[in-house]
Amino acid sequence: MPKKLFIDPKKVRKPGKIIFGEIPVNQYQKTLAEEKDHYTREELLDIYRDMLIIREFETMLNRIKTTNEYEGISYNHPGPAHLSIGQEAAAVGMAWLLGPEDYIFGSHRSHGEILAKGMSAIRKLKDNMLLDTMKNYMEGATLKVVEQEQHPDVHDLALDFLLYGTLAEIFAKKTGFNKGLGGSMHAFFPPFGIYPNNAIVGGSGDIGVGAALYKKVNRKSGIVVVNIGDASMGCGPVWEGISFATMDQFKTLWDEPYRGGLPLIFNFMNNQYGMGGQTSGETMGYGILARVGAGINPEMMHAERIDGYNPLAVIDAFRRKKKILEEKNGPVLLDTLTYRYSGHSPSDASTYRTKEEIEAWMEQDSLKFFESEMEKNGMVTAGEIKTLRKEITERLKKILKWAVDDSLSPRMDLNGNPDEIGELMFSNGSVEKMEDREPEVLIPKEENPRLQQLKRKERFALDKNGKPFSKLKTYQLRDGIFEAILDRFYKDPTLVAYGEENRDWGGAFAVYRGLTEALPYHRLFNTSISEGAIVGTAIGYAMCGGRVIPEIMYCDFLGRAGDEVFNQMPKWQAMSGQILKMPVVLRVSVGSKYGAQHSQDWTSLVAHIPGLKVVFPATPYDAKGLMNAALQGTDPVVFFESQRIYDVGEYFHPGGVPEDYYEIPIGQPDIKRKGKDLTILSVGATLYRALEAADILKEKYNLAAEVIDARSLVPFDYSLVLESVRKTGKIVITGDATERGSYLKDMAQSVADLAFDDLDAPPVVVASRNWITPAHELEHFFFPQPDWIVDAVHERIMPLEGHKVKSNYTNDNLLLQKRKGI
Amino acid sequence: MAVPVIMPRQGQSVETCVITKWFKEKGDSVEEGDILFSYETDKAAFDEEAKDSGTLLDIFYKEGDEVPVLSTVAVIGEEGESTEKFKTTVPEETLEKEQAQTPDTNQTIETPETTSTKETIETTETLKISPRAKKLAEQKGVNYMKLKGTGPGGRIIERDIRKALEKQLVITPLARKKMEKEHLAVPPEKAASGERVTSRDLVEASAVPAAEGAYHEEPLTRMRKLIADSMFRSLQNAAQLTHHISADARKIQALRKKVKPLAEAGQLPNITLNDMVSYALVRALVKHPEINGHFLGESVRIFHHIHLGVAVDTKRGLMVPVIRDADLLTLNGLSIRMKELAAECQAGSINPDLLLPENASFTLTNLGAFGIEYFTPVLNLPQMGILGVNTIRYQPAQLEDGGFGFIPRIGLSLTYDHRAIDGAPASRFLQTVVKEIENFNPQIEKL
Repeated sequence: MPKKLFIDPKKVRKPGKIIFGEIPVNQYQKTLAEEKDHYTREELLDIYRDMLIIREFETMLNRIKTTNEYEGISYNHPGPAHLSIGQEAAAVGMAWLLGPEDYIFGSHRSHGEILAKGMSAIRKLKDNMLLDTMKNYMEGATLKVVEQEQHPDVHDLALDFLLYGTLAEIFAKKTGFNKGLGGSMHAFFPPFGIYPNNAIVGGSGDIGVGAALYKKVNRKSGIVVVNIGDASMGCGPVWEGISFATMDQFKTLWDEPYRGGLPLIFNFMNNQYGMGGQTSGETMGYGILARVGAGINPEMMHAERIDGYNPLAVIDAFRRKKKILEEKNGPVLLDTLTYRYSGHSPSDASTYRTKEEIEAWMEQDSLKFFESEMEKNGMVTAGEIKTLRKEITERLKKILKWAVDDSLSPRMDLNGNPDEIGELMFSNGSVEKMEDREPEVLIPKEENPRLQQLKRKERFALDKNGKPFSKLKTYQLRDGIFEAILDRFYKDPTLVAYGEENRDWGGAFAVYRGLTEALPYHRLFNTSISEGAIVGTAIGYAMCGGRVIPEIMYCDFLGRAGDEVFNQMPKWQAMSGQILKMPVVLRVSVGSKYGAQHSQDWTSLVAHIPGLKVVFPATPYDAKGLMNAALQGTDPVVFFESQRIYDVGEYFHPGGVPEDYYEIPIGQPDIKRKGKDLTILSVGATLYRALEAADILKEKYNLAAEVIDARSLVPFDYSLVLESVRKTGKIVITGDATERGSYLKDMAQSVADLAFDDLDAPPVVVASRNWITPAHELEHFFFPQPDWIVDAVHERIMPLEGHKVKSNYTNDNLLLQKRKGI
Repeated sequence: MAVPVIMPRQGQSVETCVITKWFKEKGDSVEEGDILFSYETDKAAFDEEAKDSGTLLDIFYKEGDEVPVLSTVAVIGEEGESTEKFKTTVPEETLEKEQAQTPDTNQTIETPETTSTKETIETTETLKISPRAKKLAEQKGVNYMKLKGTGPGGRIIERDIRKALEKQLVITPLARKKMEKEHLAVPPEKAASGERVTSRDLVEASAVPAAEGAYHEEPLTRMRKLIADSMFRSLQNAAQLTHHISADARKIQALRKKVKPLAEAGQLPNITLNDMVSYALVRALVKHPEINGHFLGESVRIFHHIHLGVAVDTKRGLMVPVIRDADLLTLNGLSIRMKELAAECQAGSINPDLLLPENASFTLTNLGAFGIEYFTPVLNLPQMGILGVNTIRYQPAQLEDGGFGFIPRIGLSLTYDHRAIDGAPASRFLQTVVKEIENFNPQIEKL
């Protein structure tokens, strides 16, 4: 809600109508003869050869999948292979004009795009650049296999390198482009501008937008092409990606030189089927996919349907659209019409289409068509074609032989190093800035109004007499987060932050108050209400080399970003063999007072997913230190905050929250109160209720409880907790997550496992009820309360003399609740 | 709730029993204690009483069926209850389990007082102790078996062990602090007083024997545990008391004198004074069948023959093998059997069934060799009596010639279960034993 945009009721209430412009459909009708002057014979031959290589590569995989054999070489590939036979012209046409600085993102059916983009990049790179790239990639592991053979030149070597790196990756070999951890549906090679393909339909639909954002914000050359299927038009993340990519602010509010549309093409590789569903006529309603562009923005996304069976038509379109992007008028929507002869996967019997249909398309096969056009124009002879085909088959035979050979192309040795994959889950980097240049800011850090205000605040919660200062005078938890983030904005020029109320308002919970004054639009902005795209674009942004803080306000909205948080953000470091880093700090806020869909602690959900770091600080000192650590790191961190305690002061760290920079290592719990009789381990804001419980235990029952604040969930160093339990023999684990399947249970299990002989009673979990969160007035029946903790101690650990329980922690009640599922 | 009626196990080696007669039919109402059926092993016949009241809901085996022990024979419960779940007992598995707990004969030998396996399981089930409390108890040598737990569901938890540790020693916090800091200790007389220990009571640690090192703990052997348990149960579960008397031993001493050289010459078995007293006891028991048997709470089981348990001291501990049908043996035979069994006990090769208290009808124990003048033997339940034999003492007495002199008298201590037998009949029985000793005159056949 920027003030400079005035919403004039007189204007917006005026009658009128929206008039859509025209969307071209297959307008390119030139013959090869007409294009002769635009392409040399060599170029046309290259286009033809690239298509042939892709066709043969996919054919080889099809044979291996269906007959376990290609040209006398046997191999069994149990993994996936979604083939693109029939779509070669679309892939080659898309990649033809793109250079290594242009990034493509793909889908599960992207072998063709990888090869086309790779061959295009190789063609544009100089020998020494190519050699350096190949030598440096994974310490030359892929190159070593290819180098064993003499090559006539570097470009020939690079072609083998591309084919082998891709095939070895498909076969899950360690010498593959991503150490065999990506596989067929995720193979990629960033140095050639080939960014991750995605096994989730439409997965690239928002990630690719983040890459374009990265290019824009960091003023990098090149464009981004998101190659996704026609059926992905039905996916939420794609729509969210489109919404995000077409936000008006790029063209209206961002300052020069950042003003203007994203350098981005949504290229729908429209093979007209989503698995067996026919998108036009059955599962979608757009008739022609390009129509969708009309509804998005006044530019109608420069949408167009192009003939993906004619490589020259595709190249023509990309030439025109690239120009639009260079003029900062993106993004663009392309509907590249094509057809696949092969099924969705080799197991697909194509029962949903007729033989006649497939034959009709084969009749118009792009390779056949292009070949005859070339012959007709005297550019190639039948003999040359035969030689070329033979040469390609021989090359692929050779590549296949290398790829199936386990001594040349081994898989990861998980016997030798059982943790090899485990060690790739996190990069654990410590990097102050992702790029070395001056960060763009509006005012010097010291002049920040909020920072100046904070100087007047009490950085420790209590005065000399142990009396708390007033809230207004106290340096609060939200201030700790703010200081860490502000500091990083002045260190890392790539850092951007965005979400639903990040600018002007200062974040729904006033964490970002003072940032708007400090940062230009392109570093801090509001987004469409698109949690999926907020997280998805952050993933793309980080993949390309930036650091980013997406914020989705309420924790409850994590579900809206489910695929991004569960399938994308945690996976890409490991799936890339750590070629990619993921410095994303996702801020989520656990609510209260707002009922069932605004008050949930979902730490357990994200802690369950391998590849995410999870923290939940409860004090200003910890919040600042952990945010600093998260922002210094190179891993995705889900940073939980609690609305219940944004205004809490620092009660624990002697001297209060330091003004200077410091980090709290992620994974280290902290003793907030020492004790000897009982351990209470708390997660998040429940810390304060645990302390109240400790007070009751002390005052009424003379028991000294040791209160430990988990601070982090993943990773988690248990040594402090185990040491405490060794002393006390008793532990209550508490937090606001609902009880069933919670991470609190996981902690209880670990303690039982690791300290069994020290335990005087099984670890007890005091969590929220397995209900909806009720209204604020009833919340104390839902979230763990101090007396619940005391009751649990009494009932399950050590009966307390004279204690009268208020809650029911008896075996019978637990059994009953389990039986009822509540 | 419906409860199963289980075929009891009679003796370790018994695997099946045959039902000989049903006294109740399906659908009959039964009272606790009613005889349900009788059954027999290859050695003996038994009656099975109902342990619960209710309706006999189902009978799974009929007369003449051979039933694996511990399987469910019938179900007692309330009318209309399902008996389905009892049909699927897996006696084989139970058998295996039971056997697994007595894997070899050697170990079985160590269980003369055989507590039934069922009871052993119950003990571990009822004892709930946290790992931490157990560890602490073992470290500090606290016997937690009899502690009352104050944790959830009666679990023994750390504080229970600590309390047990400090039971006799209440030390003020200041004193405790001082003890730790200044290496002071509580003087033993203060500790024994049970009074509160304050810092003023403390003395130099070197002045008192160090708590640790002053003793050491030895875990009980399995056999010792079993003896302990069975002795304890005996004293808890029976109304036992002991009468002391003595018998003129001149006759048996004279006989012993006569036998000894012959035995040394190999012409006679080495008939000892103990053998003779045993023989006299058997004769007395034949005349007093009311004391020859078991007290079963609701009935007494009188045996038709004398199955004499004889206490034997072995290096493993006390064993009591039984001489079956001792009333059918001559003095020679009894003497020989006595020595055979003692030797088997020492060697550990004794048949475990012979060690079951249920298999003896009366027990003899002899501490005379140790010079013991009186003692109170503990009943070998369910037997109703045990006779202790003491040393021979010379006591003044009027002699047959009217003058006074000292005669040897052997002491006898009879412990009996007053629930079964009153004082007068017990005394009469003891008189008979005395008479049998004083008029000892059996036939001795030369070998």
